[in-house]
Amino acid sequence: MLTSKLLAQEKIDTINFKAFTVVDYAVSDNYTTTKMDSAAVASSENLADLLQHQSNVFVKTYGAGSLASVSFRGTGASHTRVLWNDVEINSPMNGQIDFSLYPSFFFNSAELHHGASGLIDGNGALGGSVLINNFTPSYSSTAKPFSLSYHSSIGSFGKKTNGIKIAFNQKKDWFLETHLYHSRAENDFTFKNISQKNHPEEKLENGNYFQYGFQQAIYKKIKNNTLGLRFWYFNSDRNLASSMVVEDHQENQKDESFRTLLEWKGFTKKWSYKFSSSFIKDNLVYENKSIDLISNNQSMLFTNELNSKYFINNSSLFINKFKVRYEYALADGVTGVKNRLNNTWLTGYTKNFKTLEVTVFNRMTIVDEYQNLFAPSVSAGYTLPKIKTLLLKASWGINYNYPTFNDLYWNPGGNPDLMPEKATMSEIGLKYRSEQTKKFQMNAEVNCFYSLVDNWIMWQPSSSSIWSPTNLKKVENKGIETSLSLSKKMNQLQFSFKGKYAYTKSTNIELYQQINESLNKQLIYVPEHQFNYTMEIGIKNTQFIYNYRFTSLRYISTDNNWYLPANFISDIALSQKINISGNTKLHLSFRVNNLFNQTYQSIAWRPMPLRNYLFNLIFQL
Amino acid sequence: MRLLFGYSILSLLLILFSCKKEEVGPQCKNCIENPIIPNSDNKILIINEGNFGFGNASISLYNPTSNILNNNVFQQANNYPLGDVAQSAVLFENKLYIVVNNSGKIEVVNKDTYTSIATITSLISPRHILPINSSKAYVSNIFSNQIQILNLSNNSISGSITTASNWTEEMLLFNDTAYVCDMKNNNLLLINTTNDQLIDSVKMGVQPNSIVIDKNNKFWILCDGGFNTDFPKLIKFNPQTRNIEQTLIFTDMNSSPSDLSIDGNKENLYFINHHVYKINCTDNILPTSNWLSNNSQVFYSIGIDPYSNNIYISDAKDFVQNSSILRYSKNGLLLGSFQAGIISGGFLFLP
Repeated sequence: MLTSKLLAQEKIDTINFKAFTVVDYAVSDNYTTTKMDSAAVASSENLADLLQHQSNVFVKTYGAGSLASVSFRGTGASHTRVLWNDVEINSPMNGQIDFSLYPSFFFNSAELHHGASGLIDGNGALGGSVLINNFTPSYSSTAKPFSLSYHSSIGSFGKKTNGIKIAFNQKKDWFLETHLYHSRAENDFTFKNISQKNHPEEKLENGNYFQYGFQQAIYKKIKNNTLGLRFWYFNSDRNLASSMVVEDHQENQKDESFRTLLEWKGFTKKWSYKFSSSFIKDNLVYENKSIDLISNNQSMLFTNELNSKYFINNSSLFINKFKVRYEYALADGVTGVKNRLNNTWLTGYTKNFKTLEVTVFNRMTIVDEYQNLFAPSVSAGYTLPKIKTLLLKASWGINYNYPTFNDLYWNPGGNPDLMPEKATMSEIGLKYRSEQTKKFQMNAEVNCFYSLVDNWIMWQPSSSSIWSPTNLKKVENKGIETSLSLSKKMNQLQFSFKGKYAYTKSTNIELYQQINESLNKQLIYVPEHQFNYTMEIGIKNTQFIYNYRFTSLRYISTDNNWYLPANFISDIALSQKINISGNTKLHLSFRVNNLFNQTYQSIAWRPMPLRNYLFNLIFQL
Repeated sequence: MRLLFGYSILSLLLILFSCKKEEVGPQCKNCIENPIIPNSDNKILIINEGNFGFGNASISLYNPTSNILNNNVFQQANNYPLGDVAQSAVLFENKLYIVVNNSGKIEVVNKDTYTSIATITSLISPRHILPINSSKAYVSNIFSNQIQILNLSNNSISGSITTASNWTEEMLLFNDTAYVCDMKNNNLLLINTTNDQLIDSVKMGVQPNSIVIDKNNKFWILCDGGFNTDFPKLIKFNPQTRNIEQTLIFTDMNSSPSDLSIDGNKENLYFINHHVYKINCTDNILPTSNWLSNNSQVFYSIGIDPYSNNIYISDAKDFVQNSSILRYSKNGLLLGSFQAGIISGGFLFLP
């Protein structure tokens, strides 16, 4: 048997099958992680919305239904890796994803790996990584043979969303699951256009979107193995509202994604293993009618992974992850087809000495001509002997971000001589977890991080006034992340509070080309302070939720002369669960977003909606 | 108790933040915003492009006699921002016409108070405006096969001239003909300003981006050569004969000279090619060395004060911060410097 420490940690990340256990690749408690359970996921609309409400990462959004990007600890949007069931889905074109195109309906849980723990997920996580996961079927005897749920929501500005989930658990070894989804919104909200003469009231034009998608899963249990196939299709067609300072450009963007994942998980007495093969294809068509421009972009990722965990004895384990990936892009912005192989091998070792746990990792990578055999990470966690609930932890690691196809080949401007960006990350922290059995629970965590990002790639006008990327600067990111969650149960009354605060100081400490006023200044669009909390009060099946988010000012010029003022947004929700009979349930909720009607901008001159409403219904059978 | 305490603190925080003065949209922390004094003499207008999509174009005003600087003049005078990417400006019949490229508009502004008189909208992607007479002006464009004709009496679009090119740049009026740089097809377009007809086009080098006229009524056209397409060229053109009289070819294909300007005597030409270069209108070779080295600054734009012949150069730095404006005497002596707005791309010297 494993030691209690390891076991406790596995509890969260382990999927218990009937009679056997498949261990997923849990990240050690020594690192900083944020976990969002199915309830948190279900209460949000999409991944951007989820992270904005439930984490302390910075979500930069152009507005409802528009492009949203996420950054950790003062790094850039392309320094965030995103994985769906352990498969990296960042576009090989720009290294990012649009977080608004991932409706929460399609996944069950989410997890964030901050700082050096991102190395376990892949290259390029210079800030951290975001994992979205679907449940692996439980095959348990108590599982319902058939379940159905219908989700419907209707909201302000013509928002309508419908989804159906059907699952079959046949003969306890087959599992089938279907998701069908459709969403649309007009987004024609009214705002005061302070960028125009006399500040007229205007309706947002051209902000409407239409999305649909489906996901199909088939899983089969064979002895100690489970074999699964998951296919996810997603289609989005949206108009892109112009910023308030310009006349409507009549821009449109169509995104289409095909994601196929084949996975085989299993275990023997000492081994647990997983083989996965995935194929991800993205099509993006951008159109600007006002200047007659159409741009087609197609990218593909074909990834094969073999992951294994070997339990040497009950206190140490050995981890291996091999990844062979083919990246392909055919885009109007680059000439001809671009492709490359991106192969990595992660090897790691975890040893537990009663109160001390130590992990060591190294990732070797070969991406085209880039070769790095040394990208290590080490961490240690010490459980205080007197106070078993307190964990003292520290971690350190190096990660590289390889230039994207756009960086290398964009025509004109692409720079084939770029070096990979390199981050050296370290942190120390304290984690407190009260006894989980009591009626009162408290979890608290404080982390101090420090990281240096070398060879940071930036696009700037070059000598011929063509925008071109170069390894421009060295950035120092330091800060504190804290979280506190409390919950108390008193008879019928349940109270919970989850609060997060992050302080991020992200500055240019070295400029390779020209010394200017941006030296030692905060990076643009990195708030120094971010604070949010969610408070829930539940009485029987009724729940009241209050969410508050504060974002301090974000500089929008590198000399820190120009800034967007701080904003604080509150949402409230009231929800009611109704048990109709047996397994038949109804869950109704009503949410008021931007309760205090704040006028704010998340990105310069992009209007955000004032107070708005969302009514939500879930019917479960 | 503990919970209650925690909650009270949070509520307090909420109230604290709520009480802050309401600011919405981009704000400037250290902009020098002296009050605008109408009718004060000898003003230098700096057109700050701002970042594409950021909506932070602005106008700075500098008085070299009093050394007084005003940033953000348009926003101050009008209580709304200038827009997205201010491309160029001209003074015509006591009004300023400021071309705001990505906002697709031209702001017509009172030259003394800087208040907006009219806004000409629905231009696609305007670059430069060329006033023809008190009731007519031409507007060059990128992403449009048209040169727009404006009616200056009612500040509206009255018509257009179709061109084969979808990128027209700087323009010049000489006698009754307008000369237009055609960046796409590498021509100099000639337009008859009485009937607005395209009458001729003369082949230039690759991407003619700027044009000036010298004291001998010869045109000088600077062609940047495109992105590794051709060698940049400086062409001397005779508008009477419509012939190219002299073509000076740069030796480095990677260089991209821009912003050809001429001094008050219409005698010395200056342009930027990393550094500042100077050439006399009688010269028949390109200067072999620079007139002013950039010393690792990012020279972006140049303007010559026709009244003092002082030279103004902007350093755009990393393009996401306020530019520095450097003032030089005609002998290349640094007279001073000051901070304007983001990406200072043009100078206008008011009489």
